[in-house]
Parts: sequence; structure tokens; C-alpha cells
Amino acid sequence: MATDGAGRRCRAWYAMLLRLYPGPFRERFGEGMAQTFHDLCRERRNARRGLHGLALWIFFETSVGIVRENTSHMSQLGKTMLRVALGALAVLMVPLVASQVVEGWNWDARAFVFVYVLFFGTGMMYAVIARKMGAWSYKAGVGLALVAGFALGWSNMVHVADSENPANLVYYSVLAVGGVGASMARLEARALARTLFAMAATLAVIAVLLPSGAPPYLARNMAVLHGVFVTLFTASGLLFRHASLAGSK
Amino acid sequence: MAKKDTARAPLTPAVLHILLALSTGERHGYGIMKQVEADSQGKVKMGPGTLYGSMRRMMEAGLIRESEKRVDPEMDDERRIYYELTGAGRAALEAELNRYRGVVAVAEGRLAYGH
Repeated sequence: MATDGAGRRCRAWYAMLLRLYPGPFRERFGEGMAQTFHDLCRERRNARRGLHGLALWIFFETSVGIVRENTSHMSQLGKTMLRVALGALAVLMVPLVASQVVEGWNWDARAFVFVYVLFFGTGMMYAVIARKMGAWSYKAGVGLALVAGFALGWSNMVHVADSENPANLVYYSVLAVGGVGASMARLEARALARTLFAMAATLAVIAVLLPSGAPPYLARNMAVLHGVFVTLFTASGLLFRHASLAGSK
Repeated sequence: MAKKDTARAPLTPAVLHILLALSTGERHGYGIMKQVEADSQGKVKMGPGTLYGSMRRMMEAGLIRESEKRVDPEMDDERRIYYELTGAGRAALEAELNRYRGVVAVAEGRLAYGH
């Protein structure tokens, strides 16, 4: 007869085995699989039959599933990387063509490689994060947040280089808030909504407190630009909030 | 496109058994496993690896979906995720059963002719 102690040990080992599944699969089905294993163990216990044969069969069967799911996951990841790499290359054509026709646009090869890595990195972030949830609003929220974050980081990089004012580096704190918030949120829609609202608030505070030192006509343009970014981050936060509400129904 | 193809393509035995188990109503993982065992008179025993791997592919193909998380009154007080057939899943099951009917009709005709 299987004892409770043996059952507990088997369930603990099974939970450890489930960790070998790819993350997205584990998050979606791990709890259900552990529950099903628990139910099968209880069925055995109620029938006063030993656990070892069942545990051995299920551990083997699950191990085969782990190999299959990891193989499938790697092949999907490979396809995603190829798609993103080609997409990034297509977007890179814009500055590449522009550098040929726009006067004064003279990037060297390193700049193109750097920009390509940025495009590829942003695309992969979208591909990996957006598959976390099926809701259109979640995917749109991820896309909007990444586009706004990329544009903010890019424009600030250009602005710091042009103005040589290190005070402008403070804008990167908005992206830092996003990065820390997203990792703490574990990409859950509700917490991501709060992160995006925090990013919008941080940017609004910086816009109000940081003296631009620019002439009035330029200061007005900067205020409009700040407003656009605050709106984009807020809109992304609202999309995540929509996804969170839709997911909890 | 993928969903249409799934409805036309022959189904794997595991997928067919899961669709059959869900055809009479929504069930949780253990419930599906037990129903498959009952439907096949104990001949098919599906482990969690096969069951959930098949369900992952079926969900991606739009054949089944998660319905809700709730307690099974016949079991313990743990909340379980229930799964149910979608319209595409029901269509795929019907298409597969029609295919089987066709195969059986041909086989019966041949056997009768042979005798």
C-alpha cells in the first residue's frame, strides 16, 4: 500500500520533472499536469495498489513529452528568430536607402550593425512577450510599449549626442522603470498596466522638472513630444488593463 | 486556414480520443483521461505527457479551449481547469467519424465480396 509519504515524495519529484518543460508550456499546463498526477496517485491509493509501477510509467511517459515539447519549442523559436531577422533587415532598408539619398546622412558600417541589433532585439522582445497572452489588447499593448520605448531611447540618444548635455540621460530612467517593472510584473497584464502608467508618470515629472534650456519655439516642440510619449505609454497601459480585465472574465 | 486544414486532415488516435471524451461535455485533465479509458474499454491509457502535449496542439489548432477553473464536486476541493470542444473541434470530430464510416463501408463491401 502506498503511504502518504511515498505519494508526497512522488509528487515532489514529478513537480521537479515538470520544470524541464519549456516555460510557456509549463505555465499553461504545469498546474493541471501536477493535479492529474496527484489524482492518479490518489486513485491508486484508494485501490490499495502500489505507486511505484504507476510513477515509473508516468515519469517515463512525461519525459518523452518533455523531449517532444522542447524539440517543438526550439524549432518554433528558430522560425521566429528567422522571421524577426528578416523583418529587422527590411526595416534597416529605410536608413540604408536614406543614407544614399539624404545629404549628410553618413552612417558607417558599425552604426548600421548597431541599429540592426536594436531592431532585431526589439522584434525578438515583441515575439517573446506577445505570445504570453492571446488577447489582441495584450499584443497591441506590448507593441505600443516597445515602439514608444524604442523611439524614446533612440531620440534621447540622438539628443544627448547633439546637445552634449548629460542631464538628458535622466530620460533613460523611464526605460529603467519599464524594464524593472516588466520583470517584477512577470509580464502579467495587470502589473504591466501599472508599469506603463508609472513610465508615463515618470516621463511627465521629468518633462515638468527638467529645465530644457532650449529657445521657446524648440521648448514648445519638446513639450508636444513629451505629451506624445506620455500618451503612448498611457495608451499602452490602458491596453494592458483591457487585456487584464478580459482575461479575468 | 490552419483550422480548416485540421478539420480535413486525419486525426491522431490521441486527438480523436480527446475529442470524443469532450464531445459530451467539458472535463478537466483527469476526467478526460478516465473518459478515454472508459470509451476504449481500458485499451487506451493516456499519461499526462501525451494528454497535455496533444491538448497544447489542439488548442493551437482551435479544436478545444479552456472553459473555466472550478472545483469538481466529485473530487477534492482543489480548483481545476476544464476544457471544452470548439465549433472547429466538433467539425473535426464529425469529419473524422465520416471518414471512418467511409473506410468501414469499403472494408465491409470488400469482405462481403471476398466471401
